[in-house]
Amino acid sequence: MASTPSESTGLTPVKIVVAGGFGVGKTTFVGAISEIEPLRSEAIITDASYGIDEVTADGTKTETTVAMDFGRISLKHQLVLYLFGTPGQDRFHFMWDELARGAIGAVVLVDTRRIEACFAAIDFFEKRRTPFVVAVNTFHGQRLHGEDEVRNALQIGPEAPIVFCDARVRVDVQRVLGNVVEHTLDRVMSEAAAS
Amino acid sequence: MTSMPETHVGGRIVRPYTMTGGRTGVGHPMIALEALVAVTPAGMRMRHRFRWEAAEIIARSRSETAIIELAALLEVPIGVVRVLTADLQEKGAVTITEPASESGSEADTPGYTELLQKVLDGINAL
Repeated sequence: MASTPSESTGLTPVKIVVAGGFGVGKTTFVGAISEIEPLRSEAIITDASYGIDEVTADGTKTETTVAMDFGRISLKHQLVLYLFGTPGQDRFHFMWDELARGAIGAVVLVDTRRIEACFAAIDFFEKRRTPFVVAVNTFHGQRLHGEDEVRNALQIGPEAPIVFCDARVRVDVQRVLGNVVEHTLDRVMSEAAAS
Repeated sequence: MTSMPETHVGGRIVRPYTMTGGRTGVGHPMIALEALVAVTPAGMRMRHRFRWEAAEIIARSRSETAIIELAALLEVPIGVVRVLTADLQEKGAVTITEPASESGSEADTPGYTELLQKVLDGINAL
């Protein structure tokens, strides 16, 4: 046979979730570093799979479509890192659990002009105990607020790192992703030491 | 009239779950969105036996491709890709590599720490 099928070449998939309010720059963030154009994939949600029971006038079940953006980065050591942007609209928060399952950690992107837009994401990751880093998207390179101000406004403890980045800039995104992995490593090691 | 989602692939217009025989994947263990699908040599040999999306999955999985990528590339819902990929796996046509489990779910802290260190090294080397 001329073609050589890959079979499993031993690649390991890993993932980081990129969350935040609608329009905060998640797709930009993913696109700044992804080796593929951020793709959009659709999940059709039925009542059967998620317990939503909407019934239309003709008695058929309704289906809801939720779109997710994602990107891919090949890393050395046979790793492939997937970045998943959470669906922005509140009504799709139930999808977040699936996105967060198995994730190394999360980035919560914050726009300081609409800081409340990220509260839902922070609540979710705190409850789920998913390690997360808050990344303040400094549009136009301006730091409108300092770290203490942001931490205060978000009401988060000292354990969650707060960093500043421009979501359009690849090295910034790279640094933030590194911050997420470091934060998760810190937590895993301190929990191991405590047990 | 509610407009039902329709899928347009290669000029066909079918409802998404027609190609899975109405199965939505409920009741199966959920394959992770980032799980990698790779065709096997056996899958390559039997590829002519599959049609439509199953054949597309085999064609796209000649290099390892995630479930979510397959859904985006084939323009079909993730649930459809899950069902078809699970079928293909059962027939030995593809392998599915699930991601390493997250911290806390397994007692394997050293293994997870090592994985995280590799990921960090990989990100820093970009």
